[in-house]
Amino acid sequence: MTDAAVRASMTKSRRRMLRPSIVISVAAVLAAALVGLVLIFALGVSVSEAIAAFIDGTLGTPYAIAASVNRSIAFALVGIGFVIANRANLVNVGGEGQIAVGGIAATAVALYGHVDGLPAALSFVIPLLAAVLAGMLWGSIAGILKIKAGTNEVISTLLLSFIAVWLLYWCVQSPQLLRKPMTSSATLPESLEIPEAAKLPLLTGDYSFPVHIGLPVTIVIAIVAGIVLVKTVFGLQLRAVGFNPVAAGRAGISYARMVMVSLATAGALGGLAGGFMLLGEQYVLKDGFSSGYGFDGLVAGLLARGSVVGVIAAALLFGFLRSGGINMEMVAGVPTALVMVIQGLIVVTLAGAAFFMGRRA
Amino acid sequence: MTWELFAVFVGSSLRLAVPLLLAGTGELVSERAGVLNMSIEGMMLTGAFAAAVGAWATGSPVLGLLICVVAVFPVALLQAVLSNTLRANQIVTGIGINILVLGGTTLAYREIFGARSREQIPGLEKWSPPLLGDIPVFGQAVFQQVWLLYAGLAIIALTALVLRYSSIGIVIHAAGAEPRAVDKSGISVTWVRYLGVLFAGFMSALAGAFLSIGDIHTFTEGMTRGAGYLAIAAVIFGKWTLSGTVLACLLFGAATALQFQLPTLGVDVPNALLIMLPYLLALLAVGGLAGRQTAPRALGEPYLRR
Repeated sequence: MTDAAVRASMTKSRRRMLRPSIVISVAAVLAAALVGLVLIFALGVSVSEAIAAFIDGTLGTPYAIAASVNRSIAFALVGIGFVIANRANLVNVGGEGQIAVGGIAATAVALYGHVDGLPAALSFVIPLLAAVLAGMLWGSIAGILKIKAGTNEVISTLLLSFIAVWLLYWCVQSPQLLRKPMTSSATLPESLEIPEAAKLPLLTGDYSFPVHIGLPVTIVIAIVAGIVLVKTVFGLQLRAVGFNPVAAGRAGISYARMVMVSLATAGALGGLAGGFMLLGEQYVLKDGFSSGYGFDGLVAGLLARGSVVGVIAAALLFGFLRSGGINMEMVAGVPTALVMVIQGLIVVTLAGAAFFMGRRA
Repeated sequence: MTWELFAVFVGSSLRLAVPLLLAGTGELVSERAGVLNMSIEGMMLTGAFAAAVGAWATGSPVLGLLICVVAVFPVALLQAVLSNTLRANQIVTGIGINILVLGGTTLAYREIFGARSREQIPGLEKWSPPLLGDIPVFGQAVFQQVWLLYAGLAIIALTALVLRYSSIGIVIHAAGAEPRAVDKSGISVTWVRYLGVLFAGFMSALAGAFLSIGDIHTFTEGMTRGAGYLAIAAVIFGKWTLSGTVLACLLFGAATALQFQLPTLGVDVPNALLIMLPYLLALLAVGGLAGRQTAPRALGEPYLRR
């Protein structure tokens, strides 16, 4: 088959699968949300009170909306990375670790890289680049292991996440690393606040609606990723490797190169997410700052079934779900673990539902 | 290092390796049969939680252990149905189940224990084998262990015999390597794999119970902390052999024990590095220290009769 014919048949099969997959994704989300409501009821919390707290936490104030959007940015970046790697039939489960190393690198460079005096934008662009590089490195390790030793990337990215999380703990615990100078024994195990110049500019410049410039950057990345995956030779090559590495190899597509590029890109996007979180919202590196973000991004990627638009939708959903969940815990006393239950249900339902969509074995 | 400290080190290495040994053996059987069972992390967590709640509610740790095995069964069944009957992506289902369990146990823990979180939970009794327990220095420190440890080792030994010398072992091996041949010989690949996953569930349940009511007598949220993934890494490191898996688990156990031992020896190593050590070792292990990998050929591929 020629390139064009392959592409045409792929588009056809995609078109045939698109609608039921959207329907099933939406149905899975709704069913899981329903279970969530039942659980809230079972916990003995007033459902209306919980819902009110949820809405207040997501859409109640401009601040709440902005916080949810910022969260979604991180999920979207990790999710897009997941989708890119998944095109090559790779499963990157290491978002958590990639965010963590991104955050560490961004903090280190922002605090000790003398970025203060640099001209305007450079003082936050350079720490961001450091975050991207760190994430890329973390993702590449999994790529190298995959090529050189045939190591399953699921296991390696998971283990790398654990390592990164403890690396983060080490960085904020040790005064030789990033912990702020200990003035008394009560000094918290966290870094100094990053300098003003390294903080990401806010879109409105107003702290009551603190959406940072990560939003437009993420939108651009999403558009580029969408175009690259669907319209370019590279996107086709990725998919070819994902379908059949041997056949792709015969067609002159290097498996090793595709594995490296896709895992490094996924890692870079995770690192960028970590950089955004640090420079755009948190400003101080703390233990566990990445906790849960990697998995949320991963689930957003899974839910999207390969579509970048789907990732954005799922990331927004989870961003708001998380914010609402946190407010539900504070106001109505519903543990945020409920959100995890809902997410787990969505993933399990979708995995099982694939059977009924007549997918390729 | 004195002999006393060394004995304590050996004892705690063994104790910390037990959850990995149990779960790793279960995972090995499941993977040999062809199912990559990522959900042992979730099954262990379910087991740890159910055992703690069961022991606390009934006052009997043995009943807690029983409740734990019963509670993990549906989780294992879910994984088995999804990965065999519905032929779902095994990695995705595994991760989904793990997220679900982490959320579910955390939620249930807060509901059930709430403010009583520091309450003592009755734990399994210790036992030391007759002669071994009388060895000076080592007897107490190494062999004075929870009885589940010995029961677990016995099950692992039994598993080794079954895998090595029985036709069941051959069928399990074939289901992962040549499923079509198993099918042609009139044995259902699906059933063999169901049993493999359920066995992994049973072993993970014991592993979880060992964590909560065998070792520290309490439950904490997400207390498995990736032990299930370490067990999977141990299977890879052990090149899908039981003896290799056991050795890998013992190594990870010893690496975990170091974090409690080195500080008492006055060695100044950052705590985080020590906690990281088992994961780092596991990464090195799966990343080629073990050499080229020889996974069962049909691992992770749902079987479809044509």
